[in-house]
Amino acid sequence: MTTVTLADISLKEHTLETLPRLAELRRQALARTPEICIERARYITRYLQSHDDPDDAPEVRRAKMVRYFLAHKSAPFHDANLLAGSTTSKPLGAPLFPEFFALYIWPELEVVGERKKNPQKLSAREARELNFEIFPFWMERNVIEVTRSRYNNPRCLQLFENLVFFIASKAGCISHCVPWYRTMLERGLEDIRDEARAKEERARQAGNRTGADFYRAVQIALEGVLAHAARLADEAEQRAAKSKDPEMRREFAAMARVCRRVPARPAETFREALNAIWLCQVGIHAENINMAMSPGRLDQVLYPWYRRDIEAGRLDVARAIELVGCLWLKIADNVTMVPEASEEMFGGAGTVPAITLGGIDGQGEDAVNDLTYVMLRATELLRIRDPNVNARYDYEKNSKAYCRRVSEVILNTRAVPAFYNDHANITALLGQGESPEHARDYAIVGCVELASNGRDYPASSSIMLNLAAPLEMALFRGRRPITGEEQIGPRTPDPAGLESFEEFWEIFKTQLDWLIDQAVQLNEHMGHVHQEMLPSPLLSALFRGPLEKGRDLIHGGALYNSSGATHIGFGDVVDSLNAIEQAVFIDKKYTFRELLNGVRNDFAGPAGEKMRQYLKNRTPKYGTEEPVARKNARNLVHHLFTKYQSYTNYRGGPYRPSYWTMTNHAGLGGITGALPHGRKAGQVFTSGITPVSGAAPELTACLNSVAELGGEHIPGGWALNIKYTPEKDRAAMAERFAETIEAYFRAGGHQVQFNIMTYEMLLDAKKHPEKYLELLVRVSGYSAYFKDLNKMMQDELITRTQYDLEGGGAVPLPPEAQGE
Amino acid sequence: MAGLFPNKMEEALWRRFRDCFTSEVADDFLQILLTLMQAMFVLNPDYRRNIHGFNGRYQFRSEDGQVSVAAVFADDRMQVIKGTIPDPHITVIFRSGRSLLNFIISPRQDILGSMLRHDVRTEGNLNYLNKFGYMAKHLQLMMPQL
Repeated sequence: MTTVTLADISLKEHTLETLPRLAELRRQALARTPEICIERARYITRYLQSHDDPDDAPEVRRAKMVRYFLAHKSAPFHDANLLAGSTTSKPLGAPLFPEFFALYIWPELEVVGERKKNPQKLSAREARELNFEIFPFWMERNVIEVTRSRYNNPRCLQLFENLVFFIASKAGCISHCVPWYRTMLERGLEDIRDEARAKEERARQAGNRTGADFYRAVQIALEGVLAHAARLADEAEQRAAKSKDPEMRREFAAMARVCRRVPARPAETFREALNAIWLCQVGIHAENINMAMSPGRLDQVLYPWYRRDIEAGRLDVARAIELVGCLWLKIADNVTMVPEASEEMFGGAGTVPAITLGGIDGQGEDAVNDLTYVMLRATELLRIRDPNVNARYDYEKNSKAYCRRVSEVILNTRAVPAFYNDHANITALLGQGESPEHARDYAIVGCVELASNGRDYPASSSIMLNLAAPLEMALFRGRRPITGEEQIGPRTPDPAGLESFEEFWEIFKTQLDWLIDQAVQLNEHMGHVHQEMLPSPLLSALFRGPLEKGRDLIHGGALYNSSGATHIGFGDVVDSLNAIEQAVFIDKKYTFRELLNGVRNDFAGPAGEKMRQYLKNRTPKYGTEEPVARKNARNLVHHLFTKYQSYTNYRGGPYRPSYWTMTNHAGLGGITGALPHGRKAGQVFTSGITPVSGAAPELTACLNSVAELGGEHIPGGWALNIKYTPEKDRAAMAERFAETIEAYFRAGGHQVQFNIMTYEMLLDAKKHPEKYLELLVRVSGYSAYFKDLNKMMQDELITRTQYDLEGGGAVPLPPEAQGE
Repeated sequence: MAGLFPNKMEEALWRRFRDCFTSEVADDFLQILLTLMQAMFVLNPDYRRNIHGFNGRYQFRSEDGQVSVAAVFADDRMQVIKGTIPDPHITVIFRSGRSLLNFIISPRQDILGSMLRHDVRTEGNLNYLNKFGYMAKHLQLMMPQL
């Protein structure tokens, strides 16, 4: 039931001027340069070198390692944030996870702090420690090398290392999930630990050694979090004792009291509940890499504590915004370690911890409450990259006022939050066998992925597949121009001899299915390696399922167990299929051989350019109402869904296709040859499920053509990027904005995210980054500061189709942007 | 040991190494890098610490088969061997000396671009390449003013 009591849901009386603590914390946060934090790498290496017992079960080994690190982890208080605890030892830290990709920074240890784009500071002393003491220990021990050794350098791993076919994310992470925090808040970690202790005893008596080991591991890992909270309390008490400023003394004493109570015992106040969640997030990052570890539906989880404090007069709205803002800034206290090479693929990305607001509850009723608006206001005021805030909307249950308010926040921040359609997303999860109550309680993971809050371990970033690869392999008989003469996929017939588009479609599917087989096989190999190396007993303790089943998340302990596969180049590949069908088989304008020659030669010469213009301007485009384009988009989505769902993963769940691309569409587009829809070699691909820039001139047709793909066939989520021209009359624009959202959702759209900016503004931001230090943009599922993005990604954002919301048409790309 | 690398010879090596960064061709980059690395492991105890207790077998070869050279680290020493060695930890296959330089230590480093364009390919444990990359970069940072 809705519980909105606020007289003004915009809460506009609360500003950064009235909340000076938030203003100052925000200023400090935006001014920080990331620093690599070696603390975790140091302690887990020491633990494994000196204390590890290989005879312990994998879960117990992992739990002991986590406890050791948390017991030694520093307890810094970097600023005047009201919440205690930090992910790393640095104010803005990039923690190192040597189990994954940390060793890729090795060649750059002495220069990473000096690089031009997004430097990450590292002291000479710590660089030496990494070089001489930490990294050598891990040379044979990270996921990718254990996989290589265990499976004898399989073909699927070699394809991954080519980088141009698919990315196997398990080499770098799983994380990507939403923990279940409600039990921790209501009972405290000590009670969960005691439950695990009792269950261990019962499992031992029943002769269930595996289960007993898991329960033992849970207790050990939880003790680590409790030890760290106690350490923070000690440190806060010492600071309170030492401080000469009475205000600081009070604040440290208050933080000490909070950490003495939570997360060990049930949270009694809103502040304790917030800090308890944050300390659990810190603990989880001792065990799991900082990539898309998403706190979930915090307006739902925290609401009982908020309401109680408000009703008791212990809390007012201003203080609530301040506390929520403090949590948002804490969540943003870390970034990923990024080697220079990865800057090109992922540069500028945060860690994408997603917060989900609004929507309906498990019973299908309006779940928007006062805290939803408090969190929206904090988001609007802070305008920071992380957390990735998302707003759910049920057009039948949620109020129009809520939809308008979310729209207003997007217009004011120019980028956040993203909008999610409850009808389409719940339908998608129901199609995956989730119960109605669980599906309705979905949250966003990372960029755009869907998961039932705290019940679903979706590993949603397991595979990132480049759809242009199988297209090229279909065109060139299993080879790709970039990999030369090497036979990559099956040797399929030469398209020049084909008599129908359907024959080409079958060839394309042959190559696509072969590539998916390879990607899934590698994910399965790495999944098994994770089961041996990287159980997650701490995360398991904060999930629904593992404690009931006596099984770690990595062994299928969650209620729902899926793996996610996302796709890069969707719009370009659909348009290429359209172009082949129209130009070769319907219009017979060119033979397939002529088309192949044009593509191979990058449409060189006058004849090539004439062909390119025809393909670009006269063939059907995804994002319009052209029947050929709609059919090919639908068929591709349907085929990918059917193919992925035919697999069962190592945890016993299905594979779920999705369509978001982070920045990979820029990097992979940059190295892909010409394609049949008139795209020249090296041009960036379009992002997520968005139509190709410039291809969809009418907003309504664009939204409808994307929306009709929605429903059960896209259970993993999608990212649709839309750019709107800002309007002077903000209120009128917010009204139209909300109406457009509703129409798009009623047509079936899953998600949409916006950049409220013009071509000219982004061109100027590229030219004068110093004028746009805080310009926040949506990339493909996450937010970034424009200045931090690489050139290719900046160009992609500049050339994205800009629509005038009032007229519904695309704004012509200005001449100065044509070369971008 | 220092006698093996009199100052003039060392200086000449550094000059040739430096010139690789400005040359368009950099054909000899690998040979120069390995020779200089070998020399510095002998001359510089701090640099030598990088290979203390380290066992690593590296195979380098050019795409056209013209260059094939190995570096073997064992017993706190580095050995450079012409031709191929059995069971390398990693094999690095490169199109040209310039592409290898860009891949490993160029100030205009383009590791991802090199890999995506297949200017450089690898087979084997990438962590060995990461360690080698550190040693090469450190060598570059040790370069004296000439």
